[in-house]
Amino acid sequence: MVTIDWVSGRRMAGAFIAAASLAANVPAQTPADMPPACPAEDGFFSTEVWSKVVEGHCLKCHRTGGDAEESKLVLIDPRRETDRSAQEIRRENRERLTKPATAMESGGSRLLLKATGKIKHEGEDPIAADSPEYRILEEFVRRASGSPAPTVAATPLAGAQPFFSGVVMADNRRLLRRVTLSLAGRLPTAAELAASPAEGEKGVPTSLLDAVMREDAFYDRLREGFNDIFLTLGYNDNAETVLSYDHFEKTRGWAEKFDLSHIADEKERQKARYKLYDDYRKALLGEPMKLIEHIVRNDRPFTEIVTADYIMVTPYSARGYGLYDEIKDRFKNAEDPFEYIPVRLKALIGRDKRDNQDSATGFYPHAGLLSTFQYLRRYPTTETNRNRQRSRVYFQHFLGVDVLELAARVSDAAAVSAKFEIPTMQASECVVCHKSLDPVAGLFQDYWRFEGVYGRRKEGWFTDMFPPGYEGENLPESERWRALQWLGERTAKDPRFAVAMVEHAYYLLTGRRVLLRPKDLADPLHDARFRAWQEQRATVDRIAASFAKSGFNFKTALKDWIASDFYRADGLATAADRPERRAELDDVGLMRLLSPEQLERKVAAVFGKPWGQLRDQMALLYGGIDSNEVTERAADPSGAMGAIQRILSNEVACKQTALDFTRPPAERLFFSEVQPTDVPGTSVETDERIRRTISHLHERILGRNDDPTSASVDRSYALLRNIVEDFKDRKGIDDRETYHCRRDLKGKENGNFKDPFYTVRAWRAVITFLLRQPEFLYE
Amino acid sequence: MRRDFLKLCGLAGLGFACPGGLRSLSAATPEQAPYDGPFYMVFNASGGWDTTYLMDPKGVDGINRLYQQGDILTNGNHRFAPTAKHRDGGMSNEEFFGEFGSELLVLNGLDYSVNNHSPGQRYMATGKLDSLAYPTFAALVAACRGPACPLSFLTFGNYSATGNIVAMSRVPYLPSLQRIANADSIEGNLKSPYHDDFALSRIEEALAAEHASRPLLPRLPREERGENMLYAAQVNSKAMERITPHIPKDIPKERLSQQAEIALASFKAGVCVSANLSIGQFDSHANNDKDQMKLIPELLAGIAYVIRRAEQLGLREKLAVIVQSEMGRTPTYNAGNGKDHWSIGSIMFLGPGIKGNRVIGATDDRQFHVPLDPQMLMPDRENGIRVRPEHIHEALREFAGIADHPLSRKFPLGVTEKERLPGLWG
Repeated sequence: MVTIDWVSGRRMAGAFIAAASLAANVPAQTPADMPPACPAEDGFFSTEVWSKVVEGHCLKCHRTGGDAEESKLVLIDPRRETDRSAQEIRRENRERLTKPATAMESGGSRLLLKATGKIKHEGEDPIAADSPEYRILEEFVRRASGSPAPTVAATPLAGAQPFFSGVVMADNRRLLRRVTLSLAGRLPTAAELAASPAEGEKGVPTSLLDAVMREDAFYDRLREGFNDIFLTLGYNDNAETVLSYDHFEKTRGWAEKFDLSHIADEKERQKARYKLYDDYRKALLGEPMKLIEHIVRNDRPFTEIVTADYIMVTPYSARGYGLYDEIKDRFKNAEDPFEYIPVRLKALIGRDKRDNQDSATGFYPHAGLLSTFQYLRRYPTTETNRNRQRSRVYFQHFLGVDVLELAARVSDAAAVSAKFEIPTMQASECVVCHKSLDPVAGLFQDYWRFEGVYGRRKEGWFTDMFPPGYEGENLPESERWRALQWLGERTAKDPRFAVAMVEHAYYLLTGRRVLLRPKDLADPLHDARFRAWQEQRATVDRIAASFAKSGFNFKTALKDWIASDFYRADGLATAADRPERRAELDDVGLMRLLSPEQLERKVAAVFGKPWGQLRDQMALLYGGIDSNEVTERAADPSGAMGAIQRILSNEVACKQTALDFTRPPAERLFFSEVQPTDVPGTSVETDERIRRTISHLHERILGRNDDPTSASVDRSYALLRNIVEDFKDRKGIDDRETYHCRRDLKGKENGNFKDPFYTVRAWRAVITFLLRQPEFLYE
Repeated sequence: MRRDFLKLCGLAGLGFACPGGLRSLSAATPEQAPYDGPFYMVFNASGGWDTTYLMDPKGVDGINRLYQQGDILTNGNHRFAPTAKHRDGGMSNEEFFGEFGSELLVLNGLDYSVNNHSPGQRYMATGKLDSLAYPTFAALVAACRGPACPLSFLTFGNYSATGNIVAMSRVPYLPSLQRIANADSIEGNLKSPYHDDFALSRIEEALAAEHASRPLLPRLPREERGENMLYAAQVNSKAMERITPHIPKDIPKERLSQQAEIALASFKAGVCVSANLSIGQFDSHANNDKDQMKLIPELLAGIAYVIRRAEQLGLREKLAVIVQSEMGRTPTYNAGNGKDHWSIGSIMFLGPGIKGNRVIGATDDRQFHVPLDPQMLMPDRENGIRVRPEHIHEALREFAGIADHPLSRKFPLGVTEKERLPGLWG
């Protein structure tokens, strides 16, 4: 019997946890549970007391830097402690909780009285006395005080078998296809397939992954994926306005004045200017994600996304900053609007002296993404917001903390607002968030212009907020000019940073966020959901440790995820019928609906050319984002998306089927073994070639290795044959392929493409059929 | 074919693994009749509205600078703030309550419970504060009532989680619907099909056979869900062709009206159950009165537009309208003439089965909540309850007849029997 020690991620043998602890009962124990120091007791503390009650309810305040840091109970936050082992931290926390648990006051244990609000307890609503959380604490108190065990039979945890037991993993070839399509938008090459045999050593060879991660297409995907997270493409107004009028008044509009007099025709000249602007804007918009590309491509520590002392500029965007002449010799091709190089900006000089930027070095205090104008502009502030939105997204983006999720319901929020002069500093219900949020907001204080750029607040920073700082450490005044660098340095050292980046890597690969810790202990499936979260969390922690050890090489995080069971899970050996097991496996397996961009790339990979229609409105209709108002991709297909899938499958099959038959057989992508004259059912040999062709189509389009005699190939064959047979019974049907599907074919003869036996149109139907299947439309 | 398909699903023990349960799978078979109502439209005043300038007027202690207590107007049982002289466009309260007051149910003194946009939106949309897994009411009712509709749950913004029980549809522009309405015809021209009819029938048969074969193999829950969702989306998408005749020639300029036209066309075509409409910028931390006097009239005009158009389209008797926001505004002005977040506010309802000309619940003169007797629906400072979003959602589920639906039971709200609001709808 094995369960996971969530803190360390190690597997622990022999721990008995009650499956039936779901509602009324806490885990029962065997005599071996006693005394408290035994491993099973430790398991009870970590799995039940800590994970289900203390971490979610108590740790928010009862920790160093928390609102209750001056109370008698201060716990250690294992996610922010790096000097001690998880086991040591757990032991220490258990001891700290044991004291109030065994301290008896009138009415019982101090811990229980506090938790239920029978002794005054500030902060969030107390735990109800009939709640599962209370029963767990009650059991903890009983154990801590050495009371005899109730006579309840021990029941092993429902998930006593290894978590991935019975889950089928993708073989190496399938995994390779998944990786190359996902990360490089292409099918695996023959050489890669040869180097990655289906059987044998598990996983895609590291050398192949390294090679994929050197391809330009990988960096396209990387930028696209990170924009889903940071959304820097989505700020309002024209892109060049990210360069403030106060500091770049004379340079940001360079494209308007750029000399195009060599173009004589006025219309052509105007067209060229539009293109100039268009490229300039794209170059500016692309800078933040190009920073990420630069870091990853050059194997630089990923902490640079918050510490990089440079930005990325192109010949075009450099003109906007007014530094083109200074750096033009560093470009390989100064005419390329999209060649990015790293540069340091000088401290900003304003139109007015008061807008000059303080700088001890004479340079702009770059702090990776944090200080880019695009990021600041995407998340602007207002007089009343006071940079809190920036602080909130900072916590979300770089530490993986959803501050607003911490916002617990209080009994009367309006009364709290009215009771205190400064609720955010005085009311414990508010302080729980604002003590973390407001100091970071203060670090952005000198980026106060509401459009998001540098500028100090005239009245000075707010005094009715916790002062600028980071998790209990105040910003020294001498560091104010470089406050975001100061923040970046601390962020890079915070253990939560590595975890957050590994969670981002998971999003890139799967299109969804990591699981959230289930909170509802009354949920009959809570323990199953908890185990799923716990298992994934252990993997996140393990990969984060490896990521940090690698010097924060982001490719390491991707490679570790790709090698993980979570990425490789591909099916089940036997059906999972029990609700508990189904709940455990609910989020396992990739099964990701391809985004519009990914789907276009997949069409291109399989057919050699994208469909080209999934852009603008159609992309939004297909669940895409605009990075501004629509920021979450659709995870499931709607009927509108189903209609688009039909159009895509019809159109791509239409344009590709006859086209492939016009190629010499050796150059065909799909039909190298068959001709339009090959009618199904005419001979065994013909049918064998047809079946091999279908098998090839299944592999190329669906990524399935179906044997030519398999049931799946049978269905495709039946489709082909039935259509050809149906045709024989019809009269008046044209002997040519449909005009729309033949009109683009090259050559006079092909423009009149003959299909006398209807086989080409039947093959087109087969391709349409395959393009509508989940193996094509999902990853 | 349908019978065999269901049999296969049953054999594979799908039932609840299917999005929308077995019902949605059965719905994912061809030849579904158009969904004929009831329809649900949720208006979100995103950013936090000032209820004292709408349905819960005060005019005392400096709560409102644009009017005094004596200026408060009434229409039937409704009391409302005078806005005719102050509005910047849109529809005044006077006009709105005059036209719709007899049908309108207002609940004041709602405890939003939080002061932040994101949790507030989540709580108001789902009735559950501490979970990201719950569906919005609009998504839930769509999943229960019309899982086979291709645009069952339409959303135009605000919190739109689906709980993985129904697909969310975003339709940014009406013309985009026209482009996809006839997916099996070249450029939507019915006279130019991609495939001859017999070939297309064979493709659909093959897809049905392929889909039916899948439950025979053990699969991960995500695979099952994805495959079922996909198949349903493609089969149900055929109904999109019904929408073309209902796309209006003229597209209104107002943002809410544009959203409304998409939703109403989808309702009329029988392809949609619910729509989540949204207008933002209510977060009036600066210049509260100026902003609210622009946005509240715009919101009311949007609601009026929907109801009038629904009347023209013959949908009014099937359309329930919910009007809400994620928070209210403080009873005091800040230094920038704005108002900050306030956790007490209101919600409005209108539609068939909702008795109008009623105001339930209250706030006091300082804009604090007054407890409510949930049975009598009268203020009860001693024994009343704080009406929170879960109470509203429990009542909405009852109203929509989905409270006992398996999908609703999957997302319990934890409202006890004695805290329910049985008489809310009259």
